[in-house]
Amino acid sequence: MLEIILPILIFTALVLAIIGAARRVRLWRQGRPSDVGFFSGLTAVPRRYLVDLHCVVERDKYISRTHVATAGGFAVAAPVAIAVHGLGLGSAWLTWPLLAATLCMFVGSLFVALRRRNPPARLSKGPWMRLPKSLVAFSLGVFVVTLPAAGVVPAAIGGWVLAVLLAAVVAWGLAEMFLGMTWGGPMKHAFAGVLHLAFHRRPERFGGGRSTGLKALDLADPQAPLGAGKPADFTWNQLLGFDACVQCGRCEAVCPAFAAGQPLNPKKLIQDMVVGLAGGSDAGYHGSPHPGKPVGEHHGALDEPIIVREGKALVSAETLWSCTTCRACVEECPMMIEHVDAIVDMRRHITLELGVTPRRGVEVIENLIATDNPNGFAPDSRMHWAADLNLPLMADVRDAAVLLWIGDGAFDQRNQRTLRALVRILRAADVDFAVLGNDERDSGDLARRLGDEATFQSLARRNIATLSQYGFGCILTCDPHSLHVLKNEYPELGGSYQVYHHSTYIAELLAEGRMEISPWKGDKVTYHDPCYLGRYNGEYDAPRNVLKALGMELVEMQRSGSRSRCCGGGGGAAIIDIPGKRRIPDMRMDDIRETGVSVVAVGCPQCTAMLEGVVEPRPEVRDIAELVADCLVPSAQKDQSGRKDNAGQPSPAVEILADA
Amino acid sequence: MAFEALFKPIQIGTQTIRNRVVSTAHAEVYATDGGMTTERYVRYYEEKAKGGCGLCICGGSSVVSIDSPHNWWSSVNLATDRIIPHFQNLADAVHKHGGKILIQITHMGRRSRWDGFDWPSLVSPSGIREPVHRATCKTIEEEEIWRIIGDFVQAARRAKAGGLDGVELSAVHQHLIDQFWSPRVNKRTDKWGKTFEDRMRFGLEVVKAVRAEVGIDFIVGLRICGDEFHPDGLSHDDMKQIAAYYDATGMVDYFGVVGSGCDTHNSLANVIPNMSYPPEPFLHLAAGIKAVVSVPVIHAQNIKDPNQAQRILEAGYVDLVGMTRAQIADPHIVNKIKLGQIDQIKQCVGANYCIDRQYQGLDVLCIQNAATSREYKGLPHIIAKSTGSRRKVVVVGGGPAGMEAARVAAERGHAVTLYEASPALGGQITIASKAPQRDQIAGITRWFQLELARLNVEVCLGVRADEGVLDMRPDIVIVATGGTPFLSQVPEWGAEDGLVVSTWDILNGVVAPGKNVLVYDTICEFPGVSAADFLSEKGAQVEIVTDDIKPGAAVGGTSFPTYYRSLYAKEVIMTSDLMLQKVYREGDKLVAVLENEYTGVQEERVVDQVVVENGVRPDEALYYALKPRSLNKGQIDLEALFEIRPQPCLSTLSGSGSDFLLFRLGDCNAPRNTHAAIYDALRLCKDF
Repeated sequence: MLEIILPILIFTALVLAIIGAARRVRLWRQGRPSDVGFFSGLTAVPRRYLVDLHCVVERDKYISRTHVATAGGFAVAAPVAIAVHGLGLGSAWLTWPLLAATLCMFVGSLFVALRRRNPPARLSKGPWMRLPKSLVAFSLGVFVVTLPAAGVVPAAIGGWVLAVLLAAVVAWGLAEMFLGMTWGGPMKHAFAGVLHLAFHRRPERFGGGRSTGLKALDLADPQAPLGAGKPADFTWNQLLGFDACVQCGRCEAVCPAFAAGQPLNPKKLIQDMVVGLAGGSDAGYHGSPHPGKPVGEHHGALDEPIIVREGKALVSAETLWSCTTCRACVEECPMMIEHVDAIVDMRRHITLELGVTPRRGVEVIENLIATDNPNGFAPDSRMHWAADLNLPLMADVRDAAVLLWIGDGAFDQRNQRTLRALVRILRAADVDFAVLGNDERDSGDLARRLGDEATFQSLARRNIATLSQYGFGCILTCDPHSLHVLKNEYPELGGSYQVYHHSTYIAELLAEGRMEISPWKGDKVTYHDPCYLGRYNGEYDAPRNVLKALGMELVEMQRSGSRSRCCGGGGGAAIIDIPGKRRIPDMRMDDIRETGVSVVAVGCPQCTAMLEGVVEPRPEVRDIAELVADCLVPSAQKDQSGRKDNAGQPSPAVEILADA
Repeated sequence: MAFEALFKPIQIGTQTIRNRVVSTAHAEVYATDGGMTTERYVRYYEEKAKGGCGLCICGGSSVVSIDSPHNWWSSVNLATDRIIPHFQNLADAVHKHGGKILIQITHMGRRSRWDGFDWPSLVSPSGIREPVHRATCKTIEEEEIWRIIGDFVQAARRAKAGGLDGVELSAVHQHLIDQFWSPRVNKRTDKWGKTFEDRMRFGLEVVKAVRAEVGIDFIVGLRICGDEFHPDGLSHDDMKQIAAYYDATGMVDYFGVVGSGCDTHNSLANVIPNMSYPPEPFLHLAAGIKAVVSVPVIHAQNIKDPNQAQRILEAGYVDLVGMTRAQIADPHIVNKIKLGQIDQIKQCVGANYCIDRQYQGLDVLCIQNAATSREYKGLPHIIAKSTGSRRKVVVVGGGPAGMEAARVAAERGHAVTLYEASPALGGQITIASKAPQRDQIAGITRWFQLELARLNVEVCLGVRADEGVLDMRPDIVIVATGGTPFLSQVPEWGAEDGLVVSTWDILNGVVAPGKNVLVYDTICEFPGVSAADFLSEKGAQVEIVTDDIKPGAAVGGTSFPTYYRSLYAKEVIMTSDLMLQKVYREGDKLVAVLENEYTGVQEERVVDQVVVENGVRPDEALYYALKPRSLNKGQIDLEALFEIRPQPCLSTLSGSGSDFLLFRLGDCNAPRNTHAAIYDALRLCKDF
């Protein structure tokens, strides 16, 4: 009897799955076009899946192995089962491997089930709680029905009751595995995930590459929407990417805003997008909500507004403004979904189309437009911090080995100390450098992340025009945000430079023996990885090498390197300042305190500002440049005023105000 | 950005000054070797530049001519080329920290002394005597005028050759240039005095000749007065006219404006306003000058606080603020503002210990900061943490000596406990702050309080410590228990019977003011006049009597006038040359028997309260109780102390808490003053 039922079941499932797939593909295709290679993408899938994606999944060894067994078993079992039970091919070359594959899958399923016995908070529940049972049903069902085919048991064993029972089990498994894959069950991740890997909007990320720069809006195209106001405003492969979400909640576990109780859960946000894609409400979501935002009250559709304005829509604006763009979610996502791109797309809509950038964001954008700096300082006061340093101006020298990019930290008294320390280091190492002075403008980082693409592009184009007038080997900056924008986001607008973070540059100077260093005499230190240096630019080693070169004993925080926790200062989040239960920098400072150090080394003006904003007592926050300057041997120091005719030797640690 | 206006660079002449904070010219009394800017001088200004000061104007009243003596106030002597290499040291020290440095140059004319050194005849436009220095002088001759103009040129040349960034010509404080300006002093009828232009001529010739010598890349500024405050002197309108006149030459790069002339004791007190003045009392005069000139204006006088400075600059009254005493108290004030460490600024309280020493020809020192101008000796403004073992330090007494000892020991990284018997820190500073117009002196204590809290010193108030402190197994015990009013010296005063009370009791409010009070003050420092002022303020009829030459004789030159203004206004009778022999009770009245120092004649006063100020008797009880058990028997090695070296006995300490070192500081050792207490505490404890 099973020989009749099984082919019917299998082919019905297949047909329904194909119908579901077509439906799903049609939904994705509602998104805007995206320039990705079709065949090249498809052929790249195996490598992307087995290498790139596996690398991310592998960070959780338990689930990685479980997934290999379960998914690997299924990947083999499914086609073979179609051959054996659908087409009736009974060769031992097929039946035995099918037994092996289903057994393998079964074992994997047991571990899935084990994980689901007491699942961590980040995992979604609901249908996902059913999945281990479905996996068992499929693997066990197919295993058992294959036993007669393999000749292990007689074909007629059991009678019709057992046959019906087995058919029901297999049907359940088939429904979950085949229909669920395209009609929206937990297994959807497999179908969408594979295609997402094929048509990923950042193919550069595969094969060990890095792609973190936001993509420019084409402001010249009057038809193009400015950002994403409705799900259909995303590109089709972004929509596809949302559908790939496996709801594992790794993003939730690393999101600083979520941990701080701000109304953002990246996993929920992606699921909101899925709701928007498929239409309906978020009532079917069974994971942690956006903190403080009840589930079930939001709904959306492809052509309906995403952002809640009056009443309810899909996503509250506060959710989007809570994001620090730290990319921790992106870095952790085993499906390589691009949360930050989506968030910025929606912010672009808020700022450019709706014009309702909240709170101080408006003021900051207006300042950037009027004064080229976010806090509205007089543009000609950009170099006040260096009035006594006689820094060579690019306008005078025209050519220098290094163009020192100051950044808006020029206006900040705290960061001025870092800048002065950096100048001291460059002078100690006899580096030929010059600055743009008042011709420098804000890099546009903040404007862009607040969604104001127009102001970003205006600032960027003017900076590029200024930079094009001069000759320089590289750009050096102590601001990872400037670094990121200049290095990764200006090329799309026509400005390509070699850009160094000061930690990278100092590490090279030290390696070359360009400065004499007296070893650090203080206590142990820890290092806080700035998101825009680490996750955005992959620089984890240079800062650590610098600290070690100073003779420091480095204690790592539990969250460090690519898993470093954001300080809360990026992406304009600190400016919009959506209330939560805790402040992100306070949490980060707790991470720092756990190491028991008295000094935390940083390499970013934002991080410094955020961490220094934490109430004392707390470890001292020092930029890497300051720590290096502290260790410069006096004889290696050059005159602080930059005058060549001066023989005086300054005493250590005074020029940068580090001693008071 | 906080304090944005303070940190906005400014052009003076062709030079960029990095911020708006100036250390204006003051006489330092540090030049040695015949008026040279030697190491102490250089390190003093280097510390300010290191601390962030934008512009240092050094050398108040540095002289250009040999008939304007430099010796009396150890000022800088620009009358010789010997100064040039010394200037190079000075310029380098300031420049390497990004600061700029000018020197004030002047001929003081009649405002000096002639009775010493080369015994010069002082010169002045009309030979009129100067009262503050009791200086008689000759009427200057035309040849001498031209000689002195030439001396200015040579002096400017030396300043430039020495690498300084400019000179400030002093036309303030009644020096020779403004002696020519002022009709009060210049009665000439020739081309140097008849008309306005004539009175301007000497200064103008100096400006022209100096500018011709130094060119445009060297700052030439002019320091002037805003109003002489004399009916026959230069008014504010006169000064505006003069400033505009000189500004029109285009040869002056900036104006420094000081409110008030100073050729009397009373007007002198205005020039360096003490704590009795409101903030920036003469800003309006500087603002008036700014209204008529086209170049930057600098103004000092009671600008001590970053917020105040920011407010003044933001409102545009002047372009740069002189925070001179503010930087004597804390040469790192600018850095601390930048670092957001406002609470760590040791703020000037206007005690004027600095200037009052200077007027006696003594080196300028700060009442609360013993490191100032002692940088060259190795006394630090920022105390480095000890690299040795962490010690347990117990300090007994929360007056200036105890607070400084606790602070310094804590900065060294030691565990410090401070006991104070009274409910508040401050010791005698707290008492001093109770007098009218003296409340700001409590700022000294306020800073210590903040620092001790920041440094986690355990402060136990209201605890009179005894030998039990040894139970804490301290490594070092500092006894700084101060003393008590010394009323028992003359038994006939009847202190034991309560016939006389102390100034402390009056100021502390322990004893209510009487109606008719005799204050007998044999010390003539601040407590006596403070008590008299306090009593009269409370409505008492007061006579202050001293056996010295005048009441408040030992109160400095810029502070006695403000006391006198207050005492005279409240009709306090001031009597000198009488000794208090005896006090006895008659009915409900007290009779004070006074004897004339010079005739022996006795007279009596019938009053209802006698207040005696006879200084402090050290409280030595705890010291002597601990002394025999201490490792060093309480002794301080004076050679080490004076040479700012570690005490040798520190190396004998076991560190196990089984033995301890004992030191005694401040008035419980010998009654001196706040500076002495803080200086000893700093130099002793900085090596703990």
